[in-house]
Amino acid sequence: MFDANVALGRRHNRRVVSHTTEGLLDAMDKSGVERALVYSPFAEHFDTVDGNALLMEMIAGQPRLVPQFVANPATESLADFSAEVSRLGVRSVRIAPIPHSYPLTDWVAGPWLEWLESEGIPLSIPVDFVDVPQLHDTAKAHPKLAVILAEVHYRHVPWVIPLLRSVPNAYVEVSRFVIADGVARLMDAAGGERVLFGSRFPDSSMGHQIYNLHTNDLDDSTLAAVCAGNLDRLLGLEK
Amino acid sequence: METPVFDFHTHAGRWGNSGVYDDIDTFVRIMDAAGVDRCNINCIFHSDVAHGNEVAASFAERRPDRFVGVAVISPLYPEEVVPQLERGFGELGLKSLKVYPNYYQKPIDDPGYFPAFEWCDDRGVTIMSHSSAGAGDEDLTEPRRFVPLAERYPNINWVLAHSGNSRVGQAQAVEAARAFPNIYLETCTSFGDHTTITDLVNGAGEDRVLFGSDMPLMDARNQVGRVVNADISTEAKRKVLGLNAIKLLGLD
Repeated sequence: MFDANVALGRRHNRRVVSHTTEGLLDAMDKSGVERALVYSPFAEHFDTVDGNALLMEMIAGQPRLVPQFVANPATESLADFSAEVSRLGVRSVRIAPIPHSYPLTDWVAGPWLEWLESEGIPLSIPVDFVDVPQLHDTAKAHPKLAVILAEVHYRHVPWVIPLLRSVPNAYVEVSRFVIADGVARLMDAAGGERVLFGSRFPDSSMGHQIYNLHTNDLDDSTLAAVCAGNLDRLLGLEK
Repeated sequence: METPVFDFHTHAGRWGNSGVYDDIDTFVRIMDAAGVDRCNINCIFHSDVAHGNEVAASFAERRPDRFVGVAVISPLYPEEVVPQLERGFGELGLKSLKVYPNYYQKPIDDPGYFPAFEWCDDRGVTIMSHSSAGAGDEDLTEPRRFVPLAERYPNINWVLAHSGNSRVGQAQAVEAARAFPNIYLETCTSFGDHTTITDLVNGAGEDRVLFGSDMPLMDARNQVGRVVNADISTEAKRKVLGLNAIKLLGLD
C-alpha cells in the first residue's frame, strides 16, 4: 500500500489526531500502509519555502515517507523551487490555486507546468482548491503532465467523471470518494491505471478506503496498481 | 514634528502564499522611510509556536535597536502554553504577548487561553490580541468580549489590535476602553476611514491609543500617514505614535 495523500505537521487552526512523524508511521503500521506521499500543511496554508523545508526535516531518515512539495507559481521563484526539487530528488508537486489566490492558467503557471512536464513530475491538486474549467483546460493543454485530482468528493461527481473522460492525463485520488459504487464509477471513467489510493490522513483514516478497495472485486493486477503501482509509476519509483 | 515612533504591531515569518515576506533589511528600510524607530514583532503565523517565538527573537537579536520580540501561544496546545511563556520571556527575551483567536478559531475568552492570561496577570505582562467586529471576521474577537477579561485580569494591559477593525468594531472598542483603564486601542487597519484615528482618540482618550502598522502585511508609511494626518493635537499624535507605547512597555 502506497498512500498518495498524507499531511504531516501541525495545523494553525485546529489540533489533528496526529501531527508527528512517529504518529504517522504508527498509523501506517496499523493500517498496513508501507509508504506514504507526504506534504506540509503549513506549506499549503502559508509558506511553501518554509513548509517544504520543515517537511524535509520531519521525514529525514524515513524512507517510507516520500516528500511532496507544495508549490506556489504565483509568488515564488521557479528557478529556486526547481533547484531544490532537483537537489532533494523530490518527485511530486502539489498546488492550491484558490487558497493562494491565483487562477490556474498558463499566464500565471505556464512555465511551472512546462517544467513539470519536462521533468515528468506529477501535479496533485485538491479539487476544492481549483476552478474546474481552469483545471480541465490547463490539464488538457499540457498532455504530458500527469494531473492528480486529489480529495474528490461525491459532490464533485457531476463534473469529475466527464473530466476524467475528457482528459487522458488526469488521474484521481480516492480518499474522499465514498459515494456508493464510487470505485466502479472511477474504473469505468478512467480505468485501473488512473486511480490512486489515498487517505487524506490525519483528516480521515487510512483503513476505510483500503477496505473499500479490497471489497470491490478488482482483479489482482488492478488492485495492486491502484494501491501502489500507479503512484510508483507516476513518481518513477517502480522497481 | 520630532517624536519617537514605536510600531506596536508587526510580523516576522514568511507568508509566501500571499506574497508577503519578512526580509529584515526591507523591513528596516521601510521603517526608516516611515520614520519608525522601533517596533514590536511577533511570528504568529507559524503553526509551531516554539519555532515562531524563535523567529521573533531572532529579529530582536539581530537588531535590538529596532525590534522588540513578542511571544505567541496556541490555545490548541494548552499544555504547552506556560512552558512556551517561560521560555519566551526567559531564554528568548520576549517582552509582551500576542494572541490571534481568529487564526486558531478559538474566541478570546476560550478557557484554552486562561493559563496564559493567569501567567501574564501575575507578572503584569501586556497582551495584544486581534480584535474585529463587522469586518467579515467571525465574532471571536469582537471588542466587547475583552471587557470581562479586563476585569478578571486587571494587571494585564489589553491592547486591541485594529481597534475592532470596522466602524461597528471601533465603536465597541471605544466603549471597552472607556469601561476599563487597562484596555488600549491599536490603530492599524485596512478598513478604517478618514476619521478613524480622530474618533479613537476622541472616544478613548489620547493616552489609550497606540500606533501599529501590521508590517509587512501593510506598509508602515500608510499607517503612519493615517496618524499624522488625523485631526488631533500634536501632543496627541506624539502620544499615539510612540510615547504611549514607550510608557506601556517600560522602554527607554
